Parts: sequence; structure tokens; C-alpha cells
Amino acid sequence: MSQAMESAPPVVCPRCRSTTTEVRSTSPVKGVWTVFGCATCFYAWRSTEPEENRNPDNYPAVFRLKPEDLANLPVAPSIPPRRPPTGSS
Amino acid sequence: MRAYQDLREFLSVLEQQRQLLRITETVNLEPDLAAAACALTQIGETSPAIHFGNIAGYTNAQVVMNVHGSWPNHALALGMDRDAPLRDQFFEFVRRYRQYPGELERVARAPWQEVVVDKDVNLFDLLPLFRINRGDGGYFLDKACVVSRDPDDWDNDNIENVGVYRLQVKGRNRIGIQTVPQHDIAIHLTHAEERGEDLPVAIALGNEPIITLAGATPMLYDQLEYKMAAVMQGKPYRVVKTAKGLDVPWGSEYVLEGRVLGGQREPEGPFGEFPGYYSGCHKYPVIEIDRVSHRKDPIYDATYVGRPWTELDWLQAMTTSVPIFVQLSTTFPEVVAVNALYTHGLVIIVATKTRFGGFAKAVGMGVLTTPHGLGYAKIVIVVDADVDPFDLKQVMWAMSVKVNPAGDIIILPNLSENLLDPACQPGGMVSKMIIDATTPIAPDIRGDYGQELDTPQGTDTWRHKLGALMKDLHK
Repeated sequence: MSQAMESAPPVVCPRCRSTTTEVRSTSPVKGVWTVFGCATCFYAWRSTEPEENRNPDNYPAVFRLKPEDLANLPVAPSIPPRRPPTGSS
Repeated sequence: MRAYQDLREFLSVLEQQRQLLRITETVNLEPDLAAAACALTQIGETSPAIHFGNIAGYTNAQVVMNVHGSWPNHALALGMDRDAPLRDQFFEFVRRYRQYPGELERVARAPWQEVVVDKDVNLFDLLPLFRINRGDGGYFLDKACVVSRDPDDWDNDNIENVGVYRLQVKGRNRIGIQTVPQHDIAIHLTHAEERGEDLPVAIALGNEPIITLAGATPMLYDQLEYKMAAVMQGKPYRVVKTAKGLDVPWGSEYVLEGRVLGGQREPEGPFGEFPGYYSGCHKYPVIEIDRVSHRKDPIYDATYVGRPWTELDWLQAMTTSVPIFVQLSTTFPEVVAVNALYTHGLVIIVATKTRFGGFAKAVGMGVLTTPHGLGYAKIVIVVDADVDPFDLKQVMWAMSVKVNPAGDIIILPNLSENLLDPACQPGGMVSKMIIDATTPIAPDIRGDYGQELDTPQGTDTWRHKLGALMKDLHK
């Protein structure tokens, strides 16, 4: 099957190698491209993009993520504490 | 001055002025669109906008890029002559800015209500999304206006906010939003989260050129971008209210309505950002989209972001320089012009009269305390009033001869900074520098500044005469 005709999600995400890959969209003109996404790291890619964006083995090392590191990313803006209910002292 | 009712009208003017290129050959979403827009930024400072009407996989999608990306396009956005010099664009922008506030024109219906999708929203199907830079973590909306209100003062129009924030489409109806703490929407979100609520937002995409400029302007918290756009275009700004009560431009191509989910943060990024570096990944707020409306045959507007200069630098040129100038001159009427063109004002050049020794350094510190200075303005160069801050040859002359590093460089440690500045240590903190490149005056008696060279008598007359003759030479 050619890359343009890929329609099933790849086994792993090119960026974080999770197996939570999904089809996000297919081209309105049938069979031109498919967009995939990862439900773990939210990476998205199209079947017609250059190899480095589609293939986990060719995905640039500098942009790779590990699923276990996602929880420790810096938070911005920080979440403020809830205000006390009106009328409380 | 001119009021464009929508993006389509502005594109037709760009086309008449030969500032729009239509690409009719079939192009791929990646990497063609970003590559073409990047190439335009390399061609020069008079590049046209670019329209793609034949995109692989679509029958009728349209994408425009580089709409603001040159001095002629910027001048035409302001309704000025396409050849208006940079300095004239600055002073005209200042003149209009000082007329704030203008009026809103509220109407009930808008063309973007023609097509409505409020079930099974899938943004990947509804928008011709594409990757800008190869390391981007996905597909971003990078030129949309995000509208929000303050939940603590919901009906106060003046603190409604229209801002251009980067938005990552992360799921079918899920968008990540970058709300830098220095930006107004971060205040709205904080208030919503303190109340334990979601924050309603409307995302307007594909707009006439003025509201995008206003949305990119660091105005005061109680100044409304629509009222600024009204004075910029010389006509009340036409808006339509959403069901939630948010004002949206009448002329938008797409409108996405949803909620920033209170108390939630999710991985976002990276995205190639304005400093010319990827942003890295953070946990940012998340928007859930409930409804998408759009015009028939909508036009999708996007910006290429790369190592400066790109379209972003025109979007952030006068919109950064002018508010700093206006805010600074309330304290220091001696200031004559501000150039914040470089990397969203990480470097700022101020031209000012000086009243006594040390005055220029106080002006430099004033820049750091403007709203924009709190998150940018890392290096401030202060020059004399007779040095044109927009002419870098003159600025470099002033730096060459008027600076003695022993007394003219001030470094202020650990000030607040936009976390996208890669020099921050830690993120959000940086040291800042003021370079006093003005001539020392009493009681600052440093240096040996005698008589400065001036021009021979009659130079101005000869310049006009020779300019006309040179024009004839090129006929």
C-alpha cells in the first residue's frame, strides 16, 4: 500500500511510541491522505508528510517524547486555588 | 484610512495593488504551504500575500498566508499608500491609537453563520490544517483571534479581550491554548478557575487585517481591541454576539465556540515560535469546541513562523512599538519615537530628548515597566532625539560614539520575561540591559563631546532636487 493510501493507524506514535494512535481525518477527495493522531502525546501527522514526521525510526531524536515524562512537563499558567464559598469567614 | 469589511475585500485590494500571488498548481499541505510562505519572507520586504486554491485532497479549500507580511501590505492594511515609509506608518499608527476609543456596531447576523456544525465536531475535517515547522507537535491555528470576557465582570465591554494566541488542534474538538501569564486572557482564566468554572471563548479565524493587528497589540487591560480597531479603520467596528455573549467580528471566515476547561492542563507543543526557536512542551490549558460556524467556501488564514523576519514580525511591528511609545510618553513627553520591531520587542530602541544627566537611563527603566516591558524588552537602547530609531545605521553610529560601557550600561538582574525567550534562566526570568547611547549632558560630564558635525547649508533643497532628477534617470 502506498503511503498516501494508508488508512489504518500505524501501530505506534512516531513521537512517543505509544500505541494510542487513531485516525483523525481522511481527505475529502478519497485516498489522497489520512491524518493520524496520538491520544497520549497529542502528536498529529499526515500520511503524505515527509518520512521523518511519520516513521518512529526516522522521527528526529531531539523532538521525541517519553509518555512517562508528560506528567512532569512545566505547567503554565499555574492553576489558582478555588475561592472560598461566598459567606464563609 | 479604510475599513475593510472582511478578509475577502482586503485580498481583492491586495490583488489590485499587485500584492497577492495566486498559486493555481496543485500543492501538498506539507511541506509546500510553509515552504512557499518561508520563501516569500526570504525574497524581501515587499513580498505579496499568497493564496493557494488547489490543495491536494480537497476540491475547494483555500489557504492564504503572508497577508500582513511586508511593508506595502502593512500600509494597505492601514489604508495608507502602499509605498508609505516605515516612519510614516509609525506616526500614523500613533495618531490613530491616540484617538481611542472608537465605537462598536452591533448587528444580529453575519456571513459566518451560513454553515453551522454543532454535532460531532471534527476540526481535522472542518479546517485545512497543516504543519508549519517539521518539529511542531501537530497542527496549529496561529493567526486566529480568541475572544473572552472576565467572569468577575461579565458585562463590562472594556475588559472583553481579543487576542492572538497559538492554538494546537489536539483532538476532534479539543484545542490546546497558550495563555502567557502576561496576556489578558490569563487573567480571565484565573478568575474562572478561582470560581471553579470553565471560561467561554470564541475563536475567530480569517479576519480583515485590522482586528488581527489590534489583537496582537499589548493594550491596557481595560482597553477593548474592537474599539481600537474602530479608530484604526475610521469607522465603528461591526460585531455579532454569540449565544454566550462574546462579540465576534462580522467578517470572520470561521468561528469556533467553546470553553477553556477550568483546572485542566495538558501537554502542548512544541511549536516554532517568534524568537526563532521551538517552544518546547508544556502543560497548557485546553479548549473544548462545541460549535463551528463558517462562510460558504471559507478562506483559511495562517502565518509562517520561522527565524525572523517572517510575517509575524510585521504583525508585531507597529503593534508593539506604538503602545510602548504612547504609554511611555505619558510619563516622559520628551520621547519622540520607539522602535520595537525586533523579535516582538526583545530589543527596543527609544529616541528621546534629555533634560539632565541620567535622564536617558530613567527613560530606559520606564520602558521596562510598560505592560509589554514586563515580558519582553530585554535590551533597551536609548538614543538622542535627532537619531532616527528606525534607521539602524544612525543607531549604530550613536552606539559607536556615545557609549562608554563604564557608565552607560545598566544590567538589572532577575526580571520577569516571556518564557519563550530562550535566554531565560529559569524560564520566565531574565536579566535586562539598558544601553544609554545619548550624549552625556550636565551634570553628567563624562566624555569629550565638542561640536558634532552638521550638514552643509542647502542640503535639504539639493536632496529634493536630486531625488527628482534620479527618478527621471530611471524612467
